[in-house]
Amino acid sequence: MKAADMVAPARPEAGNAGVRTIGARIAAVARDGVRRASTVSLVLYALALGAGIGLATADYATRGGYPFGGVAVGAWTAWPRTGSVGADPYARAVNARRGEIPLAVGEGMLLTAAQDDEGQTLDATCTYSIAGITPPARAWTVTVAGRGPRDPARTIVREGYTSTEILRDRDGRFVITLSPEVQAGNWLAMPRASGPVRLALRLYDTPVAASAGTLDRTSLPAITRTGCAA
Amino acid sequence: MTSRGRFLLATATGLVLAGLVHIGAVLLIPRLSEADALSRARTGETLDHAMPVYTLATGDTPSPPEAWLPIPDPAVAVGICAYDLADGPMRVSARTGPLMLSLAVHGRRGAFYAVTDQAAVRGALDLVVLTRAQYDEALANADENDVTRDVRIVAPDAKGYVVVRVIAALPSQRPAANTAVQAVSCTVDVPAEDKAGG
Repeated sequence: MKAADMVAPARPEAGNAGVRTIGARIAAVARDGVRRASTVSLVLYALALGAGIGLATADYATRGGYPFGGVAVGAWTAWPRTGSVGADPYARAVNARRGEIPLAVGEGMLLTAAQDDEGQTLDATCTYSIAGITPPARAWTVTVAGRGPRDPARTIVREGYTSTEILRDRDGRFVITLSPEVQAGNWLAMPRASGPVRLALRLYDTPVAASAGTLDRTSLPAITRTGCAA
Repeated sequence: MTSRGRFLLATATGLVLAGLVHIGAVLLIPRLSEADALSRARTGETLDHAMPVYTLATGDTPSPPEAWLPIPDPAVAVGICAYDLADGPMRVSARTGPLMLSLAVHGRRGAFYAVTDQAAVRGALDLVVLTRAQYDEALANADENDVTRDVRIVAPDAKGYVVVRVIAALPSQRPAANTAVQAVSCTVDVPAEDKAGG
C-alpha cells in the first residue's frame, strides 16, 4: 500500500498535479474511513450497497424489452413463452411494468428483429428488403416501429402489412421494401427520420408457437440492406 | 480481523444482499405494479362487454390515445374482460364472424388457455372460467341429457382477465373488428341454485 503511494506520484502520465493531489486526498480519506469505520457504519454500508445495487439492477433488467427467453433465428428473435404460464420472472416483470398483454401460445407468436441478416442495426436512413416466406399461420402482420414516442409531425402512411394485404410473387413469396423513400411494390415507410428501428412479425394461430426451436432461417423472411442515404 | 478485512467482508455482504434484493424486486414487480394489464382491467370489471384496450384507426379517425399497449399491432383490435371468480364463474360469449377472433385467458402468472374462432360450435364460442370448486359443482348439477356447448376452464387464480383479439386483415375491416371486440359479452354466471330458486 505504502509502496504504491510512493510510486503513484512519480508516474509522468498520471495527469496534472492538481488532479493528482485531489485523488490522493480522496484515497487517503477513504483509507482513513475504512480504518476507523465502526461496525454500525459497516452494516449500514452493506445494507445501502445491497439495496442500491439490487434495485438498480432489477430496474435495468426489467426496463424495455425482455432480457432473455428469446430464440434467435437468423436476424429474427422469436418470443414463444413470454405470455404463457411458463414465462420467466423477468418476462412477467417486463409485461407488468409496460402493461403489455403478450400473445398466448395458442394465440400466436411474436418475432422481433433489430438487426439485418449481417448483424447491423436497422437504421431509419437506410433501405431494406424483407423477402421470403413466413412459417405457417392463419394470419400474420409485419410492423415497423421506432423506439420512444411517435413524432406527431410525421404522418404515418402505414405501419405494417397483413398477410392478406401484401402483394406476392407467383410462387407465394413476398418482398417488402422498408425505406424512407417511396418504393414500388410493398413499400413500408420508415416511422422516423433517423435512429434505430425495430421490426415485429406476429404470427396468429400458428402451430410454430409450441415449437419455436425448430424454426430455421429459411422459413422466415430475410432482411437485407440495399442502400443507405447517408 | 483487520479494518481492511472488515471492509471487504461488508462489501461482500452488500453484494450478496444486492443479489437477494434483485431477485426479490423482480419477483415482486408483477404483484405490486399498478400499470399492468390486470390492474388496468379492474377498471372495466363491471362492464357486461369487453372493454376496448386497443381500437383500430378507421379512415380519418385515429386510434384513441387511451390505448395503453406499448407497441400494439395496428391490424388487431384488442379488448379485455376482467374476472373475479369470487363473484361466480365468468362466462365469455363470442359470435364468430368473417374476421379471425381469438380468446386468451390470463391469470396472475400468465396466459393459461387460448382458443380461436375455429373451435366455435355453430358460430358461437362460449367460454366459462371457473375455480376447481365451481367446476365440480357445475359437473354435479349438470343434467346428463343436456348437451353443453360451453368450454369450461379451471383457473389457477381467482382473479385474471380474458383478452379478445380480432384481426382486421384489410383496412376496410377495421370498423367491423372494433365492433366484434365490443360485441363479446362477459357476464358472471348465475349459480345453479339461484336459477332453480328464481
